[in-house]
Amino acid sequence: MDISKDLIAASATPLILAILKKQDSYGYEIIKKIKKASNDEIVWTEGMLYPVLHRLEKNNFIKSYWGKSETGRRCKFYYLKEEGLLELENYKKQWEVVHSTLSAEIYDDDE
Amino acid sequence: MFDLELNITSWSDYLRSSGKLDESDVIELENHLREQIDELTENGLSEDEAFLISVKRLGNVNLISEEYSKVNTDTLWKQLLIDPVDPDAKKKSRRDILLVVLFSLLAGTVAKIPTFFGLNMDSVVYFRNLSFYILPFIALFFIIKHHVSKKLIGYITTIFVLTGVIINLYPSYDPNHTAMLTGIHLPIMLWLVTGVAYLGDKWRTKKGRMNFIRFTGESVIYGSLIMLGLMVLMMFIFAIFESIAIDAEGFFENYFIYYAGTAAAIITVYLVETKKSIVENFAPILAKIFSPLFLIVMLTFLMAIIFTGNSPFVERDFLIGFDLMLVLVLGMVLYTISARNIYDKINIFDYLNTALIVVAIVVDGVALSGILFRLSEYGISPNKLAALGENVLLLVNLAALLWLYIRYFLKKIEFEKIEIWQTDYLTVYAIWMAIVVFVFPVVFRFN
Repeated sequence: MDISKDLIAASATPLILAILKKQDSYGYEIIKKIKKASNDEIVWTEGMLYPVLHRLEKNNFIKSYWGKSETGRRCKFYYLKEEGLLELENYKKQWEVVHSTLSAEIYDDDE
Repeated sequence: MFDLELNITSWSDYLRSSGKLDESDVIELENHLREQIDELTENGLSEDEAFLISVKRLGNVNLISEEYSKVNTDTLWKQLLIDPVDPDAKKKSRRDILLVVLFSLLAGTVAKIPTFFGLNMDSVVYFRNLSFYILPFIALFFIIKHHVSKKLIGYITTIFVLTGVIINLYPSYDPNHTAMLTGIHLPIMLWLVTGVAYLGDKWRTKKGRMNFIRFTGESVIYGSLIMLGLMVLMMFIFAIFESIAIDAEGFFENYFIYYAGTAAAIITVYLVETKKSIVENFAPILAKIFSPLFLIVMLTFLMAIIFTGNSPFVERDFLIGFDLMLVLVLGMVLYTISARNIYDKINIFDYLNTALIVVAIVVDGVALSGILFRLSEYGISPNKLAALGENVLLLVNLAALLWLYIRYFLKKIEFEKIEIWQTDYLTVYAIWMAIVVFVFPVVFRFN
């Protein structure tokens, strides 16, 4: 199954926020986690993650600091701020509305 | 053989060249790439496969930098002299700036000291020692910044000290030609020695020397920009103090020239060294703009000589001016070569370079005939002999470059051969400079 580009783009921000809610993380790890959580269904153009991260940082939802990756490489870690948490809750509600609308029975042609 | 480091560097340089990412963005993306490559090679892929897959996964570099440009609105120039983000680099850059300030002050003072003993800027002794006011500090800066082995430090220090002692023990009699020649040639020789400090133990390698050639070219460009800025500042100071009836001339003659001159040199070197990626963005462009212009100028000049029958090479001063021009052309050709990616295909700038070399050879040939004419007409003098030597050196260099370039066009040799030859030839220049500095005065009895 291929998930459409539009949907991937729309879901990027809430997915990143959700991962950072659990723990601080860096770009490469975020991608791996999303791949794993979606059973390899959600695959990003990896480079595109970073502009999104930077925009989130600029909007004050997340913040960054320099740390060391698992392999000991210097990399930028991101963590969720209070504003980001609120934004995440906001997103979740929006997705729930879409999801529940989609699963409502009005589309059933047989009835 | 697939060179992983080279490929990663050229990938991240490409990112840099877009100018839309700052250094920490590039580091972040590069480390992402490295993590990916590590993981893939651990799973059994070869380095080149891992590299290709990782680059593909990161996606179209142009699109990424396009996205970045929407986030990073700051201009490229702001990165200059702004503290880097990560704390380790921050500490280092503080130390560097401190060194630069300290060395500039020291060098300025060293340049000032001789004047207390009645040696003015226009005296021969002052001129002869010009290199010693700045270059030792630049060499020391490199030694501190780069990892230079103790043995090499010993050699470099010995050369500086010995040279200083010898040339100052040499007497100089009127008309001081050999001493003036020393003043001109010594900086070039010691700059090459400073290059050894810049490269550390890599000074013998082709790649290292090519880097140093590039470094020299970029220093010239940056240095000219800073000098221009200083001149504007100077005119400004003159003007505003004149308006309140204070003559600033004394200040300039006694302090500004010494301190600003030495500081400009040291700051230039520092900027080229630490903000390398930024200069790399525009220096090749400058070279590409000016190489066709130089070609047109030299062609027109040659034509004018042919049509009017006037030779500029009977006058000594013109000869020196022409040598400078040839050096500049050679430098530009070298710079374009050094900034070139070995994997690039032959392009229009290679043809332009070749044309430039051909014209330079013709001009050098005319100059050589002029010198030989003067030698036969007026007999041997240190100036003429030095000019002869330099022109022969340049001619050999240009001719060999042309020969190798043609062979490269015919696909007989790899581009690397050109670099190897050129970097080896640097030694010949250093030796000739040393001959002029050390042997000429003795041979010509210090006249």
